[in-house]
Amino acid sequence: MSDLDRAIAQLRACRLIPESQVRELCYKARELLIEEGNVVCVDAPVTICGDIHGQFHDLMELFRVGGDVPDTNYLFMGDFVDRGFYSLESFLLLLCLKVRYPDRITLIRGNHESRQITTVYGFYDECIRKYGSANVWRYCCEVFDYLALGALVLGASSGLEPTGPALETTSSTMSLDDSELETEVLNSRGEVTMSSYRPKQPRTDSPLLPSLSQDKSATSSTTQTPASSSMPPLRSGWAGTGATGDSSGSYATGTGAVLCVHGGLSPLIDSVDKIRLIDRKQEVPHEGAMCDLLWSDPDEIDGWGLSPRGAGFLFGGDIVKHFNYKNDLSLIARAHQLVMEGYKEMFDGGIVTVWSAPNYCYRCGNVASILELGEDASNGGTVARSNGDYGRSTGGAAGAAAVTRSPGRRYRVFEAAAQDTRGMPAKKPVADYFL
Amino acid sequence: MALEVQPPSDRKRVKVYELRDNDWFDRGTGFCTGQILDDEPRIFVESEDEPNRVLLETKISKDDGYQKQQETLIVWTEPNGTDMALSFQEAEGCAVIWDFVNNVQQHLLSLAPGEDALSDEIESYQSIMLPAPDLGNLPEIDHIMRTSSITQAGRDALSKLVIRDEYIPKLIPLVSMAEDLESLPDLHRLCNIMKSLILLNDNTIIETVVTDPVILGVVGALEYDPEFPTHKANHRQYLADQTRYKEVVPIKDPLIRHKIRYTWRLQYLKDVVLARILDDPTFSVLNSLIFFNQVEIVNHIQSNAQFLKELFTVFDPRNADNKRKEDAVQFLHQCAVIAKNLQAPARANLFANFINHGLFAVIAFAIKHPKPPLRTTGIDLLVSLLDHDQIMMRGYMLKAVSEKKTPLTDTLIDLLHTETDLGVKNQLADAIKVLLDPQISMPDAMARAGPEHFNKPRSNIFSDTFVQNHFDESARRLFWPLKRLENSDNLNDLTFQDVTLYSHLVDILTFFVRQHLYRSRNVIHDESLAPRVAQLLTVPQKHLKLTALKFFRTLISLQDTFYQAMMTRNNTFGLILDIVYQSMPRDNLLNSACLELFEYIKRENIKPIVLHLVEKYGEQIKNITYVDTFQTLYLRYEQLQGYGAEEADSTLYSQEEDLPGQRMQANGSRWQGVKEMDAAEEEYFNTSDDEEEWQQDPQQNTAISAHPQNGAASPVVKPLVDYPDDDDEDDAMNTKVEDQTQPKQESSSQEGPGRDTAMESSEEAPSTPVSLTIQTPPERLSEKRRREEEDDDELMKLTAGPKRRSSVNAGSGSAGLLRRKRSVSIGSLSSNEKGSTLGNTTTSAAPKRIAINLSSATVKPTDTAVDKTSNEKENRDDNHDSQGG
Repeated sequence: MSDLDRAIAQLRACRLIPESQVRELCYKARELLIEEGNVVCVDAPVTICGDIHGQFHDLMELFRVGGDVPDTNYLFMGDFVDRGFYSLESFLLLLCLKVRYPDRITLIRGNHESRQITTVYGFYDECIRKYGSANVWRYCCEVFDYLALGALVLGASSGLEPTGPALETTSSTMSLDDSELETEVLNSRGEVTMSSYRPKQPRTDSPLLPSLSQDKSATSSTTQTPASSSMPPLRSGWAGTGATGDSSGSYATGTGAVLCVHGGLSPLIDSVDKIRLIDRKQEVPHEGAMCDLLWSDPDEIDGWGLSPRGAGFLFGGDIVKHFNYKNDLSLIARAHQLVMEGYKEMFDGGIVTVWSAPNYCYRCGNVASILELGEDASNGGTVARSNGDYGRSTGGAAGAAAVTRSPGRRYRVFEAAAQDTRGMPAKKPVADYFL
Repeated sequence: MALEVQPPSDRKRVKVYELRDNDWFDRGTGFCTGQILDDEPRIFVESEDEPNRVLLETKISKDDGYQKQQETLIVWTEPNGTDMALSFQEAEGCAVIWDFVNNVQQHLLSLAPGEDALSDEIESYQSIMLPAPDLGNLPEIDHIMRTSSITQAGRDALSKLVIRDEYIPKLIPLVSMAEDLESLPDLHRLCNIMKSLILLNDNTIIETVVTDPVILGVVGALEYDPEFPTHKANHRQYLADQTRYKEVVPIKDPLIRHKIRYTWRLQYLKDVVLARILDDPTFSVLNSLIFFNQVEIVNHIQSNAQFLKELFTVFDPRNADNKRKEDAVQFLHQCAVIAKNLQAPARANLFANFINHGLFAVIAFAIKHPKPPLRTTGIDLLVSLLDHDQIMMRGYMLKAVSEKKTPLTDTLIDLLHTETDLGVKNQLADAIKVLLDPQISMPDAMARAGPEHFNKPRSNIFSDTFVQNHFDESARRLFWPLKRLENSDNLNDLTFQDVTLYSHLVDILTFFVRQHLYRSRNVIHDESLAPRVAQLLTVPQKHLKLTALKFFRTLISLQDTFYQAMMTRNNTFGLILDIVYQSMPRDNLLNSACLELFEYIKRENIKPIVLHLVEKYGEQIKNITYVDTFQTLYLRYEQLQGYGAEEADSTLYSQEEDLPGQRMQANGSRWQGVKEMDAAEEEYFNTSDDEEEWQQDPQQNTAISAHPQNGAASPVVKPLVDYPDDDDEDDAMNTKVEDQTQPKQESSSQEGPGRDTAMESSEEAPSTPVSLTIQTPPERLSEKRRREEEDDDELMKLTAGPKRRSSVNAGSGSAGLLRRKRSVSIGSLSSNEKGSTLGNTTTSAAPKRIAINLSSATVKPTDTAVDKTSNEKENRDDNHDSQGG
């Protein structure tokens, strides 16, 4: 058993590793993270997780529900620390797993992965309390600076394989022969509680498509970056698309990529590639693109709005649609906001908030969720979105964006870890005192 | 109707506190009287120093929740929601005023019986009866507590009853009874009852809870949490352990000893026992109880000369008891930690007393200690002094230099070079940064070092030359390991320690350069440090490369001809391009950092660098095609060449003729220094704060960009002739400019009529996506600022907490410059941080200088803007979070 495996075993038992090992771990993680781009490319299948906030036992519950590393490929969207009482154990375990299985777990930065925020919201105090000095905090903050800012999930399947029998209470939209499973919600016992379907064979005979798609191909064919080049390069010859009605999609646009970021969009970032031009190794700034990615929130507004948080922006559905269209995205997955149901889709499924800290702060009473995106095994299911789908009424770019289908989404909803598995959550008291 | 209550006749000496931002703010000391004016009972406090100044005038109303805490405190909430406290010098004075308040309130209540529903309720609740504390009655007691806790009136009545009947001590025996009977349901009920009692949020109750006869019973009950029926905590074991209390020098005052123990218990309650269930009001009650105790403890210690003398003689070299010395360091450290929460004057007193008794010697002892944890503690101590008042600390340091003693910095520098514990090394680097921070103006430091020093006629010694010399010498000493690199051609086998040291040194150097344009020039030039840092671009350790890269990125952002010349003379850019070649086209951190650097040069159109790059590395640049950055640089070059006739003039020094806006943009005040060094030097010393000038820049830019001659081009990059390529400013990383415009127009047109005005303004500055997309009127900004002002209860947490001093990127590149709407400049960030390291003085008392220029939509940040912003962020985070579902 290597040192690393031993450390993992120890952390899984919620016991800390010695300071010298933390330092080693952080240096190893740094070497690894420096090789990652600002936006990491991740292949489906992947399980996307939101805020953890030091709720170690609930993180264990998450692994129980979602499968263990390395069996499941994980993507954590930041906010590992602060608020909960086990930020250190949680973050160090995730970091150990990252170093041990670099290709099976991806960590990106949240707004709490910052020196200034952690000094106020608990992580700093926890380090002092548990290690007696701020050294470990410093090592961790150094690692924070190296964390990627976002991730791009490629090759996600547009449909889901149904998961066994549904509960009697399952509510579902139409379940017809010519439809495919689009979203599915499971409880922590793996029972389906909700599912929704969409038509399998969209007859895309919209007269709008050809003319609009020319604009689109003009843009996308000129972006020569890894992200977009992984898309099928050409979309010329649209003329025939609508007429063929080929269910396997002769102009396979795939499901489009899924952008994962902690907060949201930035008015300074109009393409995913622009994120690449950020020198991310720094404390989270108080403004600017990097700040916005970690701080912004979607909101039911038009365009951009000032964020009540004082950093980042609010952005509306039109912004999301335009961004997704321009970048060939089918979905933006983000965290950053507590949602009582564990996940919340907005703007006709253009963006989803995933929250993975059940009973947040040990008292909010919310459930948590993780989002599974399946792998696109076949070439099927890659047709353009049907006419009746979202955004058509707004016309223009939104209509064109409909050529990418959203991926099939399976949410696993879970509650706080059962109490017999965790003991009473509490902070560690000071050892000695003089005053 | 006349009041029949007699106001107390004599005046009581008292301190007035007001709760601001979760911290008790001292409004001053004065004399307290109770008076009845116009039939209205009032409490008056007149200032002690200025007899006519009224520190406090408040009307006593019948339903204000006045509370007496301990023997000398009265706490209440003003009708406007402000929490106030009167801290009396003597218990007797407190009692007199308390009686007055009580009498008045009772009188008022009796005058207006049942006037409104509330008093009805109070009446009815006052008839609450708790059954005799007995195991059989527990369900009923639990039930009554629960139901009456629902309304405020019920809670008040219940609190009064519990206190009057001394109910809690009567419950204590039930805990062991239930344990003996192994009756888990009873224990769970007892736990619930204790929780309810504590969450009544009453000072007196909480104070009772932590007293000797009661505490173990209370936490004993709380060990059986019904939410965790299969678990039992071991609070009693922890709290009963007497050995946890360490005493270096015995504290004799029994009252203080009690306070220390109670404070410890309160902290344990707050952090451990109640951590999960605390609501905000109870949390702040616990905090203020702890705070007032700590104020008294610290006061006692610092005013107890005998104690201090004994404490510091522990460190006498003749004393061989090392364990005791270590404990004494820990003790002082704990004092310093507590002091962080105190108000600045109290803290200043404490530290001054410590320093007079020889704190520096203690620090020197600790940081040279063989045990790394103790070195850490020693530096922590030093850092809390620096956090408290770095100007004072520098004063002491310079004083040592002028007296030909070894200054603290030299010790620290030597330690940094040899230290092997990486955590300690880290802290050392941070401390050195602050101590040598070239931006601190020295006259202030001198003044702060103490009046006796100031009076001596040696002001000449501390002239700027003196300070400069000291800086140069220290820097020479500090960067000596870097200089030594000159003789090593092979950097492939650096040891781990070497790498760490170099990265700290480069980091410090970057910090110096950013803080002060001139101060570090000498040393960089004389020691030729830049080529040494450039050497580090070739090491195999990527993070060290990155640190070196950041140094050059900072130099570039200064837009200073001296550094530009230095960089172009050496092969710096060649080495950076090598990194690009090594890392491209892979997407990684190092590559992104390089791209950002070239993007910046391109965006700012830094002429000498563009010329240099293309002329010297033309081939290399041409061959990088995976992003458009380098092609655009080439284009820029060709544009610059377009000025055939002027080309002769466009030497390094003539830029401002071509590109005034751009030059101003980067560094308004500093830029002037290029022409007139002396004037600029002088200006630096007159204005300590060049962020202000910084802030004017965007405004000037706007003016420039609005100028017809500049047409549609971006304010940031504006050559004289309007080349078509110029409007790709915003598309910093898009490949083909022409393609870009098309979807953009499309997108704006579909965004609806509301966008029209935005579009118009974007005609003037198409370079900023912000102007296109943010349609919020500028007034909102002022609203936001106001909100921040109100919403700074987290501020003290931020400023009181340990400060982050590690580097913040100087120019965060595109983002920061483009977004002028919220132009808290990155440049000002560092100084804001620094401001906060000065301690609460600056942040709590700093006048808010907020000016919002609506026309240009620029905001001058206040000194505290950054801190505030981040407070607000998180606050809103919370609010938002809870709305989220």
